[in-house]
Amino acid sequence: MSYKIPMGPYHPGLEEPYKLDMICTGETVTDANLSIGFNFRGIEHLAESRNYIQVIALMERVCGICSNIHTLTLCQAMEGLTGLTPPPRAQYIRVIVAELERLHSHTLWAGIAAKLMGFKTMFMTCFELREKVMDVLQAISGNRVNYSMNRIGGVNRDIEDPDAILKMVEAIEAEMARTVIPIFTTSRTARSRCAGIGVLTHEKAASCGVVGPTARASGLAQDLRHAAPYAAYAEMEFNSPVEQDGDVRARLMVRALEIMESCRILRQALAKLPPGELHTGDDKFNFMTGTATSRVEAPRGEVMYSVSWKEGSRNPARIHVRTPTFANMPAIRWMVLGARLADTPLIQASIDPCYSCTDR
Amino acid sequence: MTSLEFIPATLGIHEPWVEKGGVHWLQPGKLTVRELAQAMNAIHARFITITAYELPKDEGLRLEYHWDLDGQLLGFPFQLAAKSIESIYDLCEAVDWIEREIHEGFAIDFVGRDYQPLLLREGQTPGVNLREEVK
Repeated sequence: MSYKIPMGPYHPGLEEPYKLDMICTGETVTDANLSIGFNFRGIEHLAESRNYIQVIALMERVCGICSNIHTLTLCQAMEGLTGLTPPPRAQYIRVIVAELERLHSHTLWAGIAAKLMGFKTMFMTCFELREKVMDVLQAISGNRVNYSMNRIGGVNRDIEDPDAILKMVEAIEAEMARTVIPIFTTSRTARSRCAGIGVLTHEKAASCGVVGPTARASGLAQDLRHAAPYAAYAEMEFNSPVEQDGDVRARLMVRALEIMESCRILRQALAKLPPGELHTGDDKFNFMTGTATSRVEAPRGEVMYSVSWKEGSRNPARIHVRTPTFANMPAIRWMVLGARLADTPLIQASIDPCYSCTDR
Repeated sequence: MTSLEFIPATLGIHEPWVEKGGVHWLQPGKLTVRELAQAMNAIHARFITITAYELPKDEGLRLEYHWDLDGQLLGFPFQLAAKSIESIYDLCEAVDWIEREIHEGFAIDFVGRDYQPLLLREGQTPGVNLREEVK
């Protein structure tokens, strides 16, 4: 006998409001349907009534985790429409803050995954690591969530204490190598909860157009930092970890290894941080009529902004945001097919979904 | 790797690519969106998104389809005479949510597919992103 089990929109197994209706036979999921929109704020429409300063603050609030990525992508698009190029130091600071944000996002996710596996101690370890990153972000920007780092033509704040970042990088690398990666890879509990669970095949991942760690865990080697470098990424040496199994364990491993790669990028960026200005110095901007598009590799995958402007206007004519979870979320339906009901919260969490981003 | 320069001829388009605003643009001419989707599938381009624009009064709507080819962002604009266009969902699974979102935001009908509500709830009227309220 088949029966429908609704999960959400408000459910202890979900981090944010959305709804997954699962058709089950016994404990096995045979079909699923997703509903989103519970965080819909009409931000794209609202952006059309904000000027070029206000719109940066508005778009920073699309997402509470990767807020910096949204302003980075938006500012890059607006720089395309104003013809401005940020100075080299600003490009490096953009890389540093983007990688700090990736570290905090991935350690947050690892903690949540550990909690869903029943690994409370690992949850605390991951959140302790995340706190170190948050402390650095707060020291740089004065904020723990919306850092206000990006502006048209550069960044608002300097990196005044590179040694503090290096100390944090060393602490994270040591703890990842000593505890997190070995336990996630060798613990019998972690393996039994993750290996072979929530599989997204290479073919299905390509067909669904998934992005970021979700794509790389299904064998799709795509990373905009390599394929279409922005800011100062062209000057960094790093790998984009790729796994082939497409299961929860593969997604876990990709993110764990990406934490190590982010540390590697941070070391290089801090060592090579060039002297100079933080921004072009402009505070009034003349936008060309047209559309500019920018793409950035956020912690969850590719973010794209299309920004349209009319010359002489202070407000954008249109801003369209394609977030990574918007691309990844439809694939959940295929990941949960054939899964045990008890595994579905972890499977959903394994794409690191963000519904604030998705709904906008 | 497919070189960009060969794509227009494959599609029967005589116009060259125009690189502007971070996108390689190609005017599709008489090419339908379904023919375009088939061509993008053939070269293993990765679907990114569709961006909808409400143009100034009486000029209608424009849809810009984006694919990625080896890190290069491709763009194909389609001007909509009426508020409808063929769906490519059966050719490209990745368009499912964005076609549904544009249907709800701009009341554009993607012909040839069924809809389930995405951001709206059952019974709500599509067109929430249009400048004038849809009744």
